[in-house]
Amino acid sequence: MNSLSDGPKAEAITVVLVEDDAPTLWRLQDALAKAGYQVRAAGTLTEARACLAQGAPKVLLTDLQLPDGHGVDLIRETRQRFPDTEIMVISILGDEESVISAITVGATGYLLKDAFPTDIAATVRDLVAGHSPISASIARFIVRRTQTTPEPPPGPALNTAKLTPREIDILWGIAKGFSYAEIASHLGLSRQTVPGHIKNIYRKLEVHTRGEAVFEAVQQGLIKL
Amino acid sequence: MNDHDEDATAEQLPVRERRRLQTSRLVQYLLLQALIVAACIFALRQSLPQPPAEYLVATFGLSERGAERAVTLPHFSSLRHAMDDPPRFTAQFNRPAGEAGRAWSVFLPRFTNGVEVAVNGAVILDSRRNPTANRPDRNTPEIAVIPASVLRDGTNTVSIRLFIWGPITGFLDRVWVGPDELLRPSYDLRTLIFVTLPVVFSSWQAILAVILGIMWVMRRHEPAYGVLAAAMAVGVGQAFLQTPMGETPFSRLNVILISSAPIESALVLTFALLFAGWKWQRYGWILFIPGVLLALAGVFGNQAMVRALFLILAVPMVGISLVIMAIVTARSVLKRQNVASLLLGCAVTIMLTCWIADLLSVFQMTPNRIFTARLSYSVMLVAIGAGLTWRFARALNEVDGFAGRLVTQVREAEEKLKASFVREEERARAAALARERTRLMRDLHDGLGGQLVSIVALSERGNGSAGIGDAARAALKDLRLVIDSMDDIGGDLMLALGSWRERAMAQLRPHDIALDWRAGTAQGLPVHPELRPWHVIQIVRLLDEAVTNAVKHANARRITVRIETLAGADGFDRGCITVEDDGKGFEITSDGAAAGAIKAARGLRNMRSRAARCGAELELSSCAQGTDQGTHVRLTLPHRFPDSDGAAG
Repeated sequence: MNSLSDGPKAEAITVVLVEDDAPTLWRLQDALAKAGYQVRAAGTLTEARACLAQGAPKVLLTDLQLPDGHGVDLIRETRQRFPDTEIMVISILGDEESVISAITVGATGYLLKDAFPTDIAATVRDLVAGHSPISASIARFIVRRTQTTPEPPPGPALNTAKLTPREIDILWGIAKGFSYAEIASHLGLSRQTVPGHIKNIYRKLEVHTRGEAVFEAVQQGLIKL
Repeated sequence: MNDHDEDATAEQLPVRERRRLQTSRLVQYLLLQALIVAACIFALRQSLPQPPAEYLVATFGLSERGAERAVTLPHFSSLRHAMDDPPRFTAQFNRPAGEAGRAWSVFLPRFTNGVEVAVNGAVILDSRRNPTANRPDRNTPEIAVIPASVLRDGTNTVSIRLFIWGPITGFLDRVWVGPDELLRPSYDLRTLIFVTLPVVFSSWQAILAVILGIMWVMRRHEPAYGVLAAAMAVGVGQAFLQTPMGETPFSRLNVILISSAPIESALVLTFALLFAGWKWQRYGWILFIPGVLLALAGVFGNQAMVRALFLILAVPMVGISLVIMAIVTARSVLKRQNVASLLLGCAVTIMLTCWIADLLSVFQMTPNRIFTARLSYSVMLVAIGAGLTWRFARALNEVDGFAGRLVTQVREAEEKLKASFVREEERARAAALARERTRLMRDLHDGLGGQLVSIVALSERGNGSAGIGDAARAALKDLRLVIDSMDDIGGDLMLALGSWRERAMAQLRPHDIALDWRAGTAQGLPVHPELRPWHVIQIVRLLDEAVTNAVKHANARRITVRIETLAGADGFDRGCITVEDDGKGFEITSDGAAAGAIKAARGLRNMRSRAARCGAELELSSCAQGTDQGTHVRLTLPHRFPDSDGAAG
């Protein structure tokens, strides 16, 4: 990819790839290696932890269902140990429930396993560049959870109450397939502020609020560290 | 108090049979009444226990209008009014020596209207001071103890002045003078029967008035109760309101009270008529004329006039009322055969007998003057009370039975409803499940199934690795589409198009085709509450088809998707989705199919059928040359999506 010259130096970008299905792992590894990323592959949770022990990667790409555990645990640990690492979930169908549960522990996006090699590389590049891609169906899912339901649906608890009306408007726009530019013009915003709002949305949904919860629990003597 | 069920059984019989039955009933009823009359006469002929005969003073000297003559008590005076110069009865009686320690009394069992008793010239009793004794319809006895200072051994004189004020003539029953303890039991018995008992009955009447009044207030559609309550109230007023003698302002009230008798009898008669099923008529007021006339006479005339009129108006009125009631209740008994009518009929017979006896007494055709009509009125009160209680109990039983039946019926209905509701719910759920299963199966068959089959075919050929990849990717894409379509988008098609846009972009990116997405307005398309997953899947597949055609056959560089809301001619907004490409286009034959490749032709036919299934209009135009080169697919959504997948069959 010649576009790599625009981004940070390829040598500096390390990716830890956690995927238990070998052909899928090869495929993703090939796509990323061709784009110039330094890939460390792992097939299990244990291997992934070993990879992470070698040092903080720039990006963590992980499947959720692993032979010796769940990817969510890995995401949580990584988010706590390396706050600067970008975390993405590898998903087959992009089903909202598991993607959202990954986001609430610190993931910032997801990648479909059957995505084209170029798209795989481009998504990782966007992530590293500071974008927080969000899909229409995920945006819709978040907004639905925000709308007060008498009984919260099963699944991860979202801090959706903290989203501002503006952020919810942006999520609606994404859910309906509008581009950032269209959303900005409909809402009377500048084009650059929309990605900022989306990053805020991620931040609000993810770990640091969970950290607050842990802090609160420790304060109240509910758990001991 | 009607017994409709018994009426019904009677009506089912043939006329002759019914008449025979009625005659036999009438005979039975009349025999019973005759028996009652005989019993009444027997009872009336019984005389009350009397004090020892040795103390009876029967022979008196009567000085009347200046003339003196000897009379034997009981004595009927011919006078109707003697207040200023009353007849004076004088007699001697002997008190044996040695009785000075015993108290002696004068006992007068019955007199009309007032007496003044003097012994040896000293007045010991004036009945006019006792309002109860002043009423001629009450058989009030009097007893007076002679002061010891007045009485002497041997011969003493007792003189009685009889005051008469109408409307009936004067009467003085036999007089006893003797030791108080021997006379008093007889006096006490008479007081009990003629003074205490009527008070008890009047109290009973007051209670009845209240009960009937409440009944009428609660059941306004039964005026019989109101009328009877009024009658009872009038009777109670007449019994308890007593005014002193003489022309005082109160005496006006007194004469009006006298008029209460005809009013009360008119009210009771009205009740009997209404009770027997008679509808109130305008001429019903005739019944009240005697009472009203009497009251007017009392207000504008004087007591003497009222008393004179009382005999002419009130007494016949009571009699006529009783006769009419006897006939009406007899008919009612025959027709309805209920206990209340029978009780009332017997009571009327007793009253009628007593009324005739009283009349005979007034006209001095019987040797005594004990008026029993008022006393017998209590029989009527008892009959009314018993009838009411009987009816109340019966109504309660009916209500109980009805409530029981109702509870059973409601429970049955509830159970039936519950069962049918459960059945209906199960049926609806099963139907919905079956419908959804059919739809999913068809959607998976149309997309995923075909793609998996082509993957199998490609893998068997062994040389099409690239083809396998495409087919598998297409299968995954379709799987996502089917899963997406299950999502609740609340009728907002834009939410489905948002996901479709992402998928289409991913599809186009490797081919370097740009997707130009132009949403006309912020809300994009109208919201369709009736939108169902199968509508969404058809529309998304149709759009997929358009994009795939542009990629595979048109060599397009740019695809433009335009989303608009058009105001229709019929006033309804319609959504419109346009997919244009800048490719090479194709010829469209007269039947609307593409002239080119067979595969493309099948694609177009598919698009048409999908649009038809959703009730949408599809316009296809293609141009192979010139500035308008390219293919133009325009889908106009219906105002309302169809409920059933009619075109698919």
